Amino acid sequence: MQELFRPRDLSEALAILAARSEVRPAAGCTDLFPATAAPALQGAHIDLTALEELSGISRTPEGFRVGAATTWREAIEADLPPAFEMLKEAAREVGSPQIQNAGTIGGNLCNASPAADGVPCLLALDAQVELASAEGRRMLPLGKFITGPRQTALGPGELLVAVHVPGEAARGASRFLKLGARRYLVISIAMVAVRLVVEEGRVASAAVAVGACSPVARRLEAVEAALVGAEATPALAARVRAADVAAALSPIDDVRADAGYRLEAAAVLVRRAVSELVTHAGECAA
Amino acid sequence: MAQVSMTVNGKPVTGEVEGRTLLVDFLRNGLGLTGTHVGCDTSQCGACVVHVDGRAVKSCTMLALEAEGAEVKTIEGMANPDGSLSVIQQAFQDHHGLQCGFCTPGMVMSAAALLAENPKPTEAEIRHYLDGNLCRCTGYHNIVKAILAASGQDVSIAAE
Repeated sequence: MQELFRPRDLSEALAILAARSEVRPAAGCTDLFPATAAPALQGAHIDLTALEELSGISRTPEGFRVGAATTWREAIEADLPPAFEMLKEAAREVGSPQIQNAGTIGGNLCNASPAADGVPCLLALDAQVELASAEGRRMLPLGKFITGPRQTALGPGELLVAVHVPGEAARGASRFLKLGARRYLVISIAMVAVRLVVEEGRVASAAVAVGACSPVARRLEAVEAALVGAEATPALAARVRAADVAAALSPIDDVRADAGYRLEAAAVLVRRAVSELVTHAGECAA
Repeated sequence: MAQVSMTVNGKPVTGEVEGRTLLVDFLRNGLGLTGTHVGCDTSQCGACVVHVDGRAVKSCTMLALEAEGAEVKTIEGMANPDGSLSVIQQAFQDHHGLQCGFCTPGMVMSAAALLAENPKPTEAEIRHYLDGNLCRCTGYHNIVKAILAASGQDVSIAAE
């Protein structure tokens, strides 16, 4: 008999996981079901969508807290500063509207697909993840949480409960661009998230992340360094050097694209995102 | 087995389900509401779209127990109280927005969700919104026309 737990209270959920480490979390099921090779889910699961503490986006004294069971649709509808626009753009491209209504941001992170659309956006927002277990809580930078394809730093009995974005990273304007074999309902070949803070006509800070081009989505520090301090004019995009993009990434050849094409696409998308942001430079102001 | 209760098309219902029972299977096998179809079973095709608390979701990708306490609406709840077709259903008939009809329940439910959120969508917005509903008779063109008509807009603006 397959078991399903649906706790209303986080401490109850953590107690179940502490006692039964084989119980798999479910938070929207949009990845879980398609990955189930059997006619029905096997084993015990715990549905996290009834947990109040995991739902919705709120402001905190330090910045923003995104509950792990926040759906893509809730992210699209949330009142957030322009720095989050890339996350909303990614949310609008996840699956279809019905998937956006069910799939969750925490599920996207824990599923840890190299092509997870939420990851580059949250990396470019300097996100930290809040993990909870019956033993207590800890925070980790998102870049240290996802450790490989389908692998995370979650320990036994531990749940991702929220994603935190510091106020300092909630500045500037942002853009998400994704390349797929078709426009919709598609797994990314490459996607980029770019956030720029422009002060007095110059780039004060830059966050550039690329997904689907390495085992885990990555920030591109060399590309960021080449942008900081430069004038926010249409010439800015030319500062994105293909060599800097390629040096940070390690794409694979697969049915969707070969590695060379992915690198080319990543560089083009980063330049395009930078260019679109400086064209609307007023929005990049801190 | 666990007990699940929800409101389906305005009526309170209760049933016994296993943890793994999908919402679509509860609707079809538990309640006999077979208007909601299962096409791909992998949340791609959209034949199983229903509304849960006003949101369009794929009922093959949701457990029945996740809908505990929710308001669910299926294609069987779309007609007017007197049994006549709703505006959207009538528009699908008038504009031949179906061929084999298998995808139609999902198309109608997605169209209703779209028009609830965007009462006068452009043709492009309609096509974008239907990205999660597949029609393998390639009947999209008339489906788009039907939705334009249901929103009270001129269907001649749809590209031929």
